[in-house]
Amino acid sequence: MNLYEFEGKQLLAKYGLRIPKGVVVRRGEDAIFAYENLGVADVVVKAQVLSGKRGKNNGIIFCSNSEEIKKAVDELFQKNIRGQYVAAVLLEEKLAIEEERYISIVYDTTTKQPILLYTEAGGMDIEDVAHEKIKKIALDIRQENLLVSLPYARELWKCFLTEDTRQIEINPLVRTVGGEWVAADAKIALDEDAFYRHEDWKNFDARTMLGRLPTERELAVKKIDEGEGYYRGTAGKYIEMDGDIAILFSGGGASIANMDALIKAGLKPANYTEYSGNPPREKVYALAKIVLSKPGLRGLWIAGGVANFTNIAETFHGIADALAEIKPTYPIVVRRAGPFEDEGRRLIEECAARNGLTMQFFGKETSMSDTAQVLAGLLK
Amino acid sequence: MGILLTENTNVLIQGMTGKEGAKAAKAMLEYGTKVVCGVTPNKGGQEVEGKSIFNSVKEALKKFSAVNATAIYVPPFAAKAAILEAIDGDIPLINIIVERIPIKDMAYCLAAAKEKNVRIIGPSSLGLIVPGIGRIGVVGGPLVNEIFQPGEIGVISRSGGMTNELSWQIRRAGLGQSAAVHVGGDLLMGTTYADLLRLFEKDEATKAVVIFGEHGGSYEFEIIEAIIKKEFTKPLAIYIGGKFANVFPEGMNVGHAGAIVAKGQGAAEKEKALSEVGVMIAERYEDLVQLVHNQIYAH
Repeated sequence: MNLYEFEGKQLLAKYGLRIPKGVVVRRGEDAIFAYENLGVADVVVKAQVLSGKRGKNNGIIFCSNSEEIKKAVDELFQKNIRGQYVAAVLLEEKLAIEEERYISIVYDTTTKQPILLYTEAGGMDIEDVAHEKIKKIALDIRQENLLVSLPYARELWKCFLTEDTRQIEINPLVRTVGGEWVAADAKIALDEDAFYRHEDWKNFDARTMLGRLPTERELAVKKIDEGEGYYRGTAGKYIEMDGDIAILFSGGGASIANMDALIKAGLKPANYTEYSGNPPREKVYALAKIVLSKPGLRGLWIAGGVANFTNIAETFHGIADALAEIKPTYPIVVRRAGPFEDEGRRLIEECAARNGLTMQFFGKETSMSDTAQVLAGLLK
Repeated sequence: MGILLTENTNVLIQGMTGKEGAKAAKAMLEYGTKVVCGVTPNKGGQEVEGKSIFNSVKEALKKFSAVNATAIYVPPFAAKAAILEAIDGDIPLINIIVERIPIKDMAYCLAAAKEKNVRIIGPSSLGLIVPGIGRIGVVGGPLVNEIFQPGEIGVISRSGGMTNELSWQIRRAGLGQSAAVHVGGDLLMGTTYADLLRLFEKDEATKAVVIFGEHGGSYEFEIIEAIIKKEFTKPLAIYIGGKFANVFPEGMNVGHAGAIVAKGQGAAEKEKALSEVGVMIAERYEDLVQLVHNQIYAH
């Protein structure tokens, strides 16, 4: 999960990094009141987004009085910064900058260990900095003590380890005219699989990187995998898209291959979804019901590979439960094989017959991509 | 022949008393894999599928010193301790089936494994199979004999389901597999595509390799290096899923945990880089077989 700048900074402050004096203003809150309470005349107003290059896209505005603040905040809330929804704005003291640096810790997939990146060319995109100007220090996750004398490196390392982050980046790390190091920005991503040892993560607001707030359906699907058995069969992934073909895919790999195949067949997905790891009937039912509840659907594609251990009968029971309730009138194409495939096929075809559904079923003799073409043919 | 697994592989299952662990024990034994014992803390003395359960890896190794591979089936929060136990016991091959292990725990285990020259497959791996010899995990499930037969094509996949699906496409074309390995979909992979290609290069049974790759992450780029250095010289065809993901913003996760939208790491960008060193690119996953088939048998 990616954090907003203000959340990232609060985390950094916990580890002793100095952050600029500031206040968060959410939509609908009184920005002028917040500004006056902050008690600093010259401020910078920063759009809070989860991705993208904010500075280059006019997401940062300098202000010196209440009128300018009002104008800047209104302007930022009306914006989409490179497709990103502006959830809040951050009002911060304007720093008297002497120099700007860059520091980050991320996982290096070559060494499979964390790596610290540092450059004196701060304030610009790290991708645009010449390789020889970037200092790269390989870290060992088993060593809590960091013998690196760069500013804030030790504090960052402690934060990285304790907070289960997958990425921490400060750009720019500023040295003020007064000689103090200040984290002027913060880009932090948390490792969601470590949620069970971070009770406080529950307090973060729901978010999506799709330039809008999460939809009701997205929030509802997320809940499916919550609870004690969170790792036993998953059915909690759902991204709403603007097409009209409902998707029920199984398997992370098959799902992305099928999305590509669907688009190639000239169809537009209404959602991205995958369930996998042999989830129980109830989880699949909950997911299917939400997927089918989206208005304006024109077709349904249920597709997965030849499963290794996911029980086709059990998971199709869940889908059949939802189909029997909703009784869609649009065409349904199914492609699936694996353990208990005969039973699974029988029960979903019986469900279709009982409820007068238009369904075509394919087993492993037909490839997944070919069945996307079948659905496209039915919709012509 | 094949890679990673031989007739002399003796497998331990950590977490064998659990639901998935017990199912895997049965599936492995049915396929002829030598599963010799299991480990579950506090369940020592029990039996699963007629095999003894021990409280710790250390105890198990005292009794069964021939163990040279382990499959790990424990909850994610117990994974780090289980993996470190196996590394401490110098078991040379660790297949981690566990999904959703925190990255920090995995990095810790990978650093420890590297020091002791222990190979880790996974995490979030379904397992691996050498048709006719054995399987670790439930690759192929109950349909294993319909999907796998000894043959000449190596299979590597970032996805468990697609390991099976690709293997089925190979079988459907009348061919067989030398080995199929699910490397797992996480950010940190114990054994990468390039690592496996080097093994397939040395394997006489393998005439060509097919790979199911994904958008996000940099592991596909390691393949290029292996080819340039001539560490892999056999025909190779790859399918990379996730072209649709370029509609999403950078930093967003779509699919497996390691599939994060990133500049320069999209499906199309990977395809371009790989095709420049002679890797055959499949437009659809089911075309992979035809591509390598043409290479091996056309001459």
